[in-house]
Amino acid sequence: MKNRPLLAAAAALCAVSFGLTACGGGDDPANASGEDKAAAGPVTLNYTWWGSQDRADRMTKAIAEFEAAHPDIKIKPNFTDYEGYWQKRATEAAGGGLPDVMQFDFSYLRQYADRGALLDLKEVEDGVDLSGIDDSLLPAGEIDGGTYGVPIGTNALAMYYNPDLVTQLGVEPPKEGLTWDEYNAWIKEASAKGGGNVWGAGDYTGVLWLFDMKLRQEGKKLLDEDGKLAIEKSDLKEWLASTDELRQSGAIVPADRITQISPMSAMGAKLTATEMSWDNFLAGYLKDSGAAKIEMLAPPTTDGEKGLFVKPSMLYAIGANTEHPEAAAEFVDFMTNDPEVGEIFGTSRGVPASKAQRDAVAAEGPDAQVLEYEKAIAEDLDESPAPLPAGFGTLEKELLRLSEEINYGRMSVDQAVEEWFTEAEAALEQ
Amino acid sequence: MSTLQAQPLRAEASAPAPVDYRRARRAETRSGYFFLAPWLIGFLLLTAGPMLASLYLAFTDYNLFRDPKWIGLENFEKLFNDSRYLQSVKVTLIYVLVGTPVKLAAALAVALLLNSGRKAQGFYRSAFYAPSLIGASVSIAIVWKALFSDGGIVDLGMTGMGFQPGGWVGDPDKTMPMMILLATWQFGAPMVIFLAGLKQVPRELYEAASVDGAGALRRFWSITVPMLSPVIFFNLLLETINAFQVFASAFIISGGAGGPAGSTLFYTLYLYIRGFGDARMGYASAMAWVLAVVIGLITWVMFRTSKGWVHYSGETK
Repeated sequence: MKNRPLLAAAAALCAVSFGLTACGGGDDPANASGEDKAAAGPVTLNYTWWGSQDRADRMTKAIAEFEAAHPDIKIKPNFTDYEGYWQKRATEAAGGGLPDVMQFDFSYLRQYADRGALLDLKEVEDGVDLSGIDDSLLPAGEIDGGTYGVPIGTNALAMYYNPDLVTQLGVEPPKEGLTWDEYNAWIKEASAKGGGNVWGAGDYTGVLWLFDMKLRQEGKKLLDEDGKLAIEKSDLKEWLASTDELRQSGAIVPADRITQISPMSAMGAKLTATEMSWDNFLAGYLKDSGAAKIEMLAPPTTDGEKGLFVKPSMLYAIGANTEHPEAAAEFVDFMTNDPEVGEIFGTSRGVPASKAQRDAVAAEGPDAQVLEYEKAIAEDLDESPAPLPAGFGTLEKELLRLSEEINYGRMSVDQAVEEWFTEAEAALEQ
Repeated sequence: MSTLQAQPLRAEASAPAPVDYRRARRAETRSGYFFLAPWLIGFLLLTAGPMLASLYLAFTDYNLFRDPKWIGLENFEKLFNDSRYLQSVKVTLIYVLVGTPVKLAAALAVALLLNSGRKAQGFYRSAFYAPSLIGASVSIAIVWKALFSDGGIVDLGMTGMGFQPGGWVGDPDKTMPMMILLATWQFGAPMVIFLAGLKQVPRELYEAASVDGAGALRRFWSITVPMLSPVIFFNLLLETINAFQVFASAFIISGGAGGPAGSTLFYTLYLYIRGFGDARMGYASAMAWVLAVVIGLITWVMFRTSKGWVHYSGETK
């Protein structure tokens, strides 16, 4: 008897909470019927990407453009660094809660598409207009007959140098077409003059794509047609050992410096005068380092072979769990094809894949530099990589981690090679 | 007691205006469960269910997307050939074995100071507790990273004193001391418990000891420590279990990778990397269960050995 007031209070609480859920459900009917979404007020899309502050600034502008043109769609943006990006996506994918629209990487597309986590864009009527995109690029987003990714740009590997730092060091800038031995000698010379504050370069052997490029120069391939490893342990050993002398003589940036500036790059933090990476990194390098100009040239060669290739720099994908496929497709279409968006991003997402955006890129400054670079290397290009197998992202990540261990002196090259092969084989098996 | 009284009453059902105790008790039980329900549902759905699921997954090859494939003990066998796993065990053990005693010593020392009955006690107590309130947050780990970076305050201060530590964050030999310092700094929770324990120690014991000529040190070892031993035991148990599960600070400071060179690869961080970074959820589940069993064993051992050194007042031997 005593607990009657308590029960009454509990009942009241229940009533209130039911009321709340009822209220909460109030704006749902529109979603359920699917057709009349536009009429039911603004739709909110979750959108996420990885990238630097520079990209975030541009993204904010592009999103504002989109929202102005589509008052019925609101974009909720979110961004992180590259490594954390994939950990989050894996968690979300497992729980069926991927964002509506995502920036995607070539290395991960198959992994997610294979598992049904991405929306087949062919299923969305009047979806994304792909007509402006070069035919050779479209297969990058196609897996087993479905279109799961829209390539929005292309990139190629390049070598950057910071002319101010080079002058400051008092060395000649690196020359086009130099060999690996010449480049390593250049690094040694530059680092010697840097006096422990500036170095010629970081340990580039931790970057899987550069290893891939080196293999291409030797006429080899990293993966075979079935997506299995096509290299010998000796290949990787030779690659990782090629900077041994530089590591031991302190001619490359010490590992602890790299750790402390992370997630910024060594070039962005002005620790190195050169760095090799993708050619769409130019804008980020300029922003991070504050340098007035950064020069680009082709990376070192083997017997005159460049081994350069063009691949999709990034793609757009839509989560299979989205409640608003039409709106999401509309947003992807806008980001891929709208000329103004093309102007905002320039070449920072890679050279734009769609013709309308490529034409809109201002032919001056850093953007012109990137366009010129891709034009210069276009005559002598290797074939583009086939869609990458699931687990490729792990291959990249592991090589970077093992390279760090080597640079901290915690692991020998032999150990690193053994461990990379174990991890890579396990990852590709999945 | 109520059962005994209820029985005879129920037997003479024809008595005028009988009080149906059984029904009242059933109602009471029902409302008991009712009030327990939020916790119970949460426990079953959010803790027990997932734990059972992960027990199953530990014996499977499961990559988050495809159906789990039963592989028996393979995950557990792999663990002991995985050099990074062994590294994570080593890192975690050092953290637990060094960090926990250091943290408890700091907590006890501050509790003793605060127990001496000086002025503004309330203020000091709050001030010393504050780091624990904000300590688990992401922002503190970020601040910590900045403090210990190259050219950070710690580096500058120590350089000023003639040491040349450089940045702690990038040096694999210095990240562990840094992590232990971060944990030690958050001694607030055990401190408050120690303080409460200290208040329970009867004054007379100290007075009698003083009269007998015992010095401060003697009084501490012969009165404070034995009288406080149940509280010490409680704190030791909790802090050990907590230390095994450290995650957030290591995740932030190493950018989620356990670096540099695996020096902050704590057990739970490696578990996260395997489970969510590499999508090897079966393997990660196996790791989780090994950890749960080990913590269980350690707790059991601590309880068993506690009989030798923990004294409960009123207990006679």
